[in-house]
Amino acid sequence: MNNFSRVKKKVNSVLRHVFLLLLVVIWLVPILWLFVTSFSGYKGINTSHFFPETWTLDNYAQLFFRSDSIVQYNRWFMNTLVIAIFTCIISTILVLMVSFTMSKLRFPGRKQLMSFSIILNMFPGVLSMIAVYFTLKTFGLTNSHVGMIIVYSAGAGLGFLICKGFMDTISVSLSEAARLEGASEAKIFWKIIIPLSKPIIVYTVINAFLMPWGDFVFAKLMLNSGVATDWTVAIGLFNMLGKSMINKYFSVFCAGGVIISIPISILFVIMQKFYVEGITGGSVKG
Amino acid sequence: MKKALNAIGNYFKNLGIAFAKGDVWVKLSSVVMGAGYFARKQIVNGVIMLLVEILFIVMCIGYAAPNLAKFGTLGTVQFEQVFDPLTMTSTVNDYDNSFLILLNSMISLFLILVFILFWIANMKTVYRLQLKKENGQHINNFREDVRSMFNEKFHITLLTLPVIGVILMNILPILVLVAVAFTNYDQQHMPPNSLFTWVGWTNFKNLFTNSVTVTFGYSFKKVLVWTLEWAVLATFTTYIGGILLAKFINDKKTKLPKMWRTLFIIAIAVPQFVTLLLVRNFFADNGIVNTFCTSIGLTDFLKSVGLVSSNLSYIPFLTSPGWAKVMIVIINIWVGIPYQMLIATGVLMNIPEDQIESARIDGASPLQIFVKITMPYMLFVTGPSLITDFVKNINNFNVIYLLTQDVYVTSDQLLANSNAKEIDLLVTWLFRLTNEYYNYKMASVIGIIVFIICAAFTLITFTRTIKGDKEEEFQ
Amino acid sequence: MKKKVLATLLATAMVAGSLAGCGSSSDTTATEDTAATEETTEEAAPAEEAEASTEESADAADPVANLIAATTDTVTLTVWASEEDQDLTTQLLEEFKAAYPDVTFDITLGAESESTAKDTILTDVEAAADVYAFADDQINELVQAGALQEVAATYTYDVATENAAGSVEAASVDGKLYAYPMTADNGYFMFYDSSVFTEDDVQSLEKMIEVAEAAGKKIAMDISNGWYLYAFFQGAGYGLSLNDDGVTNTCTWNAAGATDVAQAIIDLTASGVLVDMSDEDMATQIAEGTVVACVNGTWRAETAETAWGENYAATKLPTFNAGGTDYQMSSYSGYKLIGVNPHSANIGWAMLLAEYLTNEASQTVRFEARGLGPANTAAAASEAVQANPAISALAAQAAYATPQRVGGNFWSPAETLGQILASGNPDGTDLQTLLDTTVEGITAPVE
Repeated sequence: MNNFSRVKKKVNSVLRHVFLLLLVVIWLVPILWLFVTSFSGYKGINTSHFFPETWTLDNYAQLFFRSDSIVQYNRWFMNTLVIAIFTCIISTILVLMVSFTMSKLRFPGRKQLMSFSIILNMFPGVLSMIAVYFTLKTFGLTNSHVGMIIVYSAGAGLGFLICKGFMDTISVSLSEAARLEGASEAKIFWKIIIPLSKPIIVYTVINAFLMPWGDFVFAKLMLNSGVATDWTVAIGLFNMLGKSMINKYFSVFCAGGVIISIPISILFVIMQKFYVEGITGGSVKG
Repeated sequence: MKKALNAIGNYFKNLGIAFAKGDVWVKLSSVVMGAGYFARKQIVNGVIMLLVEILFIVMCIGYAAPNLAKFGTLGTVQFEQVFDPLTMTSTVNDYDNSFLILLNSMISLFLILVFILFWIANMKTVYRLQLKKENGQHINNFREDVRSMFNEKFHITLLTLPVIGVILMNILPILVLVAVAFTNYDQQHMPPNSLFTWVGWTNFKNLFTNSVTVTFGYSFKKVLVWTLEWAVLATFTTYIGGILLAKFINDKKTKLPKMWRTLFIIAIAVPQFVTLLLVRNFFADNGIVNTFCTSIGLTDFLKSVGLVSSNLSYIPFLTSPGWAKVMIVIINIWVGIPYQMLIATGVLMNIPEDQIESARIDGASPLQIFVKITMPYMLFVTGPSLITDFVKNINNFNVIYLLTQDVYVTSDQLLANSNAKEIDLLVTWLFRLTNEYYNYKMASVIGIIVFIICAAFTLITFTRTIKGDKEEEFQ
Repeated sequence: MKKKVLATLLATAMVAGSLAGCGSSSDTTATEDTAATEETTEEAAPAEEAEASTEESADAADPVANLIAATTDTVTLTVWASEEDQDLTTQLLEEFKAAYPDVTFDITLGAESESTAKDTILTDVEAAADVYAFADDQINELVQAGALQEVAATYTYDVATENAAGSVEAASVDGKLYAYPMTADNGYFMFYDSSVFTEDDVQSLEKMIEVAEAAGKKIAMDISNGWYLYAFFQGAGYGLSLNDDGVTNTCTWNAAGATDVAQAIIDLTASGVLVDMSDEDMATQIAEGTVVACVNGTWRAETAETAWGENYAATKLPTFNAGGTDYQMSSYSGYKLIGVNPHSANIGWAMLLAEYLTNEASQTVRFEARGLGPANTAAAASEAVQANPAISALAAQAAYATPQRVGGNFWSPAETLGQILASGNPDGTDLQTLLDTTVEGITAPVE
């Protein structure tokens, strides 16, 4: 009897892990396809074999060492990196400022302002793209990376909800005590709340940093000079899958996809803990 | 509602009082904005106010007035260009650009509104200063004022920058969008070459009516229904899936939970547009999955069952309406579950263990525990973010656009006549209308409706959390 | 700035010129200019002349010389050429710069596919390139949006007479020339593998399907695309044309007997041999050997040639049978054009560059480098061009081809009609109703 239940337990455990493995396979098959295709000697889409028939590093070489007017990967990477760094700094600052105000300060109209911002934040950027474009054009900011940074970060203040939720969980007694000792609100913000908000700051930073890597809609509209050196990784890769390009650039696209995924994956894995803490800390009290 | 009206009433009442009871300096402040401060020896404040006023007047004359003058017609002077073949140069007349007039007028109106509010606030402050002086209270000097910006008025300091950003990137574009919905801005009326003008509610009427040729009404209904279906499906499948997966991985019986989690995370670490474009080619009509399905005989089997039309030699994963809808939801599950799993993992860790323990002792089955304890707790905790997800899915541009653009051809003729497709969400339809057909007017109308729908959902859920005292509960 | 002053000075001349430009005398200006530069095949010549004639600039005898004299600052230009054309265009740009040694140029070359140029340009015309390549089907919309500078005068060669009549027509709207023809090969025809089909087989689509079926292979055509679907309806005599307003269409695809054409398409695709396939998929399928014939254009020539080797062949489109009659499939004759953006700050230079990129020498080079069929009659007459199978197939098809003039409302409904027919009309809708709805969409008014 005892023996039987042990066997059953073992079988169960094996089944459990086989099932998980199956799920992981489903989740990773496309990623694996991306990875192996990036080494394919055939530039187009291979529709009859999962694994490439000829293996080569040429796609990577083309990305890094053979820049032409279609592929400017090094430039794209630098452009995106610069945009991402600035976006991430500005966005994080804005989000923290708003979150602190909404969470820890009390002033008339606060709740109305919050409701209003939340609704405003629900407005998808795609809808107002053209208006944004022409607004920035009046300031001469289209086709420039400064413009892109503005596009990605200017409205960031609206995304305060999760961060504010997190700050709500920081006990009031801490700031009360500081206030009694004569600390200014600015000091409380800087010296007490910020250090305690590490997980949510990491969460905000990652999110803001990732934005320019994944966006092609705004980037394509804003960086419309047609000159490849101005682009971000997202436009460049997106462009490779255009009708007239896909058969010559599909495996190069895959290589490009693999390359940007590496730093982002590492970032994700390292930050996993903070990410989970931040987002749950925030959404719990959202 | 009443409260709001009262608040507005008080707002103007206070202004009235300031006017009625204010001394000559206060009254003078309504014209020369710094006056009230100079009288109370707040020189720096006074100078700043005066500068603001001067700047505003300059703005009005140089910028607002010329634009607002044309706001009624949105311009009358058509673009004209004369090319001289001898000098090989061309001259352009001083033409009106309807869109710029609209945009600049919106900015002007906005600035004027802000100034009026500023002016009212100024009047009240100046009156307050007068009262303070009369009562012999302390009046801040400039240094003290600055210090207060980091104390009781710290919220103003903190919010200024974010608010400016939001106005520039969100509010102004939305105002412009709303205005465009009342114009005939489309491919036939595109600045700079052509002018567009106001047409009233025509576009809204077109959206809700069906004429013989304009099928916008028909398409709108279809697209809206699918948008909502999609939002519900996409939100709940990934939500439940995420929780189940998280529970499964977190279970004590699962070895190496961290490794499993990391493996799933890899799938989302690849930027979405890369994976989606990849998956689109993966499931293409002549793609690798189809090759595989044909070789194992699945295609023929599905044909014999009738799930695939008999004259196709492939499975139309992303090209026939039924298949595409199902595939999009499935692919979205693939994309979304790892995220939800991450979130759920965090929340599940905080579930009160004792409740589960006692339920287990009472002999509850794991399913019962999940339904009776885990889910209610999850829903309680993640309810608001669930609604956020729902709204985000209404506007889930990436998944639909990247999976179907250039690939999917609608087979519904009425939809085709208004450039919509079965799998379109309101956002993607709108995007196509602007990006490929330059039908800005209809896109704006749809945009407004999307906004209203989203705002309604958000309001319903968030007023509860914001208004209630829940916020303070945790502090 | 200086140009502006000059412009004001010559205001009177300008008005006169512009009036003349609208009328018939644009031809005279053009011929004069060509006469002036005819003997000078070397492009540097006008530049040398320029120095001599600076004094006479007021006479405006030689506009190019005037322009050179008037240009003191660096000339900044942006050029958009397709991704495939980048290397060639870079080379031509260098030659262009060398042709005007007295002027400093700052020319940026961007990549923008000819087939989608419109999408980028129309979003913001002012931000578009000064000189750009596009496919002739976009000309109406581009002209309407004010994105094309009228070619009111030519300077280094006569665009209207040196290029094939069809290409000039395609570059004109309402009788005015708006662009410079670059290639004359943007239409479609039939590619086939001659190891599968004989020359007799490819005369009729039915025969081709029979042969391909026996060989277990496929014939591909992008039926769910209005551009190709047109081949059937136009071939059987059902018309589609653009109205005088330049926006709406007239379409008789639902006239009596048109259901036979619809039925024919359903029947042709029913076998699963003639398949509805996008251009990108065709490329892959040709390479993999499943597709042995396809309706496509010169841009696929390379793929087909690589895959089929010496069996690579091309010819005019076959006939198809509808309601018992054989009809020759029609097609759109397509051209690639180069346009000048009227919002260009250096419009004169932009025009000169556009001329340079499309002159006989450049068209010849373009053919040599990429196998693109020249629009220039002299370049097209060369033996090499005549011997090119794809281009001679286009020439054979030319008799049945029409220039593409169609309003924007055509595409979506036609695409859907193609999709329905190619998937065998799954809902079993009455064919007449199907065509009626399509025509309704195609002919829908545009407010």
